[in-house]
Amino acid sequence: MGILEIKQLYKSFGNHEVLKGLDMDVPEHSIFGFVGQNGAGKTTTMKIILGLLKPDSGSVTVCGEEVKYGETKTNRNIGFLPDVPEFYGYMNPMDYLKLCGEITGLSKSRIKSRCGELLELVGLKDVKKKIGGFSRGMKQRLGIAQALLNEPKLLICDEPTSALDPIGRKEILDILLAAKGKTTVVFSTHILSDVERICDRIAVLHDGKLALCGTLSEVKMSHRHNGLVLEFDNEKAASFFTDAEELKKPSISLLRKGNTVTVFLTGNNMDGQLIIDVLSRKRIVPLKFEVMEPTLESLFMEVVR
Amino acid sequence: MKGYLVFLKKELLEYAKTYKLLIMLMVFAIFGITNPLVAKLTPQILESLMTDGIIAALPEPTAYDAWTQFFKNATQMGLIVMVILFSGVLSSELSKGTLINLLTKGLSRTAVILSKFTGMILVWTASIALCFGLTYGYTAYLFPDGDISNLLFSVLCLWLFGLFLQAVIILSAALTKSSYGCLLITVIVVAACFILDIIPSMHRYNPVSLATDNMGLIMGSVEASSLLRAIIITCMLSFIFLLLSVARFRRKQI
Repeated sequence: MGILEIKQLYKSFGNHEVLKGLDMDVPEHSIFGFVGQNGAGKTTTMKIILGLLKPDSGSVTVCGEEVKYGETKTNRNIGFLPDVPEFYGYMNPMDYLKLCGEITGLSKSRIKSRCGELLELVGLKDVKKKIGGFSRGMKQRLGIAQALLNEPKLLICDEPTSALDPIGRKEILDILLAAKGKTTVVFSTHILSDVERICDRIAVLHDGKLALCGTLSEVKMSHRHNGLVLEFDNEKAASFFTDAEELKKPSISLLRKGNTVTVFLTGNNMDGQLIIDVLSRKRIVPLKFEVMEPTLESLFMEVVR
Repeated sequence: MKGYLVFLKKELLEYAKTYKLLIMLMVFAIFGITNPLVAKLTPQILESLMTDGIIAALPEPTAYDAWTQFFKNATQMGLIVMVILFSGVLSSELSKGTLINLLTKGLSRTAVILSKFTGMILVWTASIALCFGLTYGYTAYLFPDGDISNLLFSVLCLWLFGLFLQAVIILSAALTKSSYGCLLITVIVVAACFILDIIPSMHRYNPVSLATDNMGLIMGSVEASSLLRAIIITCMLSFIFLLLSVARFRRKQI
């Protein structure tokens, strides 16, 4: 059973239907990348999970408990980092974490030890200045600290890395990766390289539904085209290769660009062996022989189109 | 309950750190000091402005003049400053998103409304008490022979009207999204109270009489008992408004 299960979730704002029957299942101890275009409904989904928005229909369960709108019982298992976390500017990080700890109902000694640990983790330990003077990256890090305060089973981050500089992004991703052992992380983003870097699962939200869902390797595998990329050292060799009789079949298509030839194989029992045979018969040694891997970007483009 | 106390502590800290408390206290302290002083000095100022030949009989100022100043300032400027300061009580946290963090930490929405309301009442009570204390002491010093009846009751009526306004503010804050919407609704409610006051028979039931009959109470032209109905109505309305704001806020999509 997953730690977060979403079934047939519908939500519209006025006439604008945002979620149209979203199903999602997040297994425990995974880092789940939740990808979608701007306005696809990522934040809406998260707010529904947190009980801040009321879904039109459908159900959400967190740790086997159903989320009820307006009540925040299930939130004791959740840590949430909003896209632009805002805090009381007149407090310093320690004050703020104490306030959060008191609201969560942690004991005084627990709050103290936990705040120290977390501020150390996010690198704000010796920062005594008020939150009002924080940079965006510092706020984001404090946001993660407050989200992890009650040792949640599920950590939800809404675009934690957008609008951060490369160093800030790396830091946030490292913190998320470090949290993986203890908690399940769901984070939304539209930066695909972030997903590739730390996620083991990905879901693409498009048109109110999941257009793609699974582990990274599964997803890539299922969308692999039987494509090969060959690069030759000169045009002559490339032409020599493309002129081969064996390749003039309807199930094979060639795409030539200068010295590079991309071969698409369709139909059953077709693999690279045929191409290797051609190469060896014609005695051509290519500079590069590569099985085409779909990039997340191409996958994303494909499902979103 | 725990959430209520923790959040109330945060509210009070916020009033202190964002200078709202300071502004309220300063405004009311200034009124408190100037009320008796203005009463004492007005005849002398007028006298010094008069040129020769014009003789006007100016009555000797009394403690009543000081209290006239008190109720005039507190009910006009004082209440206006309070409404403006408190109009963003909920909307600023909602629009900035500072509340979302705490709500997702398990803070109940009821606790948010109740502790905000309590915080407002505490600030208002401190301000009016300070103003009253200063005016009282200074008046006793400037007009030693002034003995005034119904004074405390009259101030309590004003305090209660302030509380009623705060209930209106919190309800309109729960209903609207911006602080301007909140201000607008509050102004409309107060205006409605004043318009209703045109009908003489309504005056006994109207909360606004708690803020307009104060001098009458002191001078003896209004019986304290005649305000009983207005007091009950005001308490009931405030309570209902508070319940409504809790109910509304619990359903609000954030």
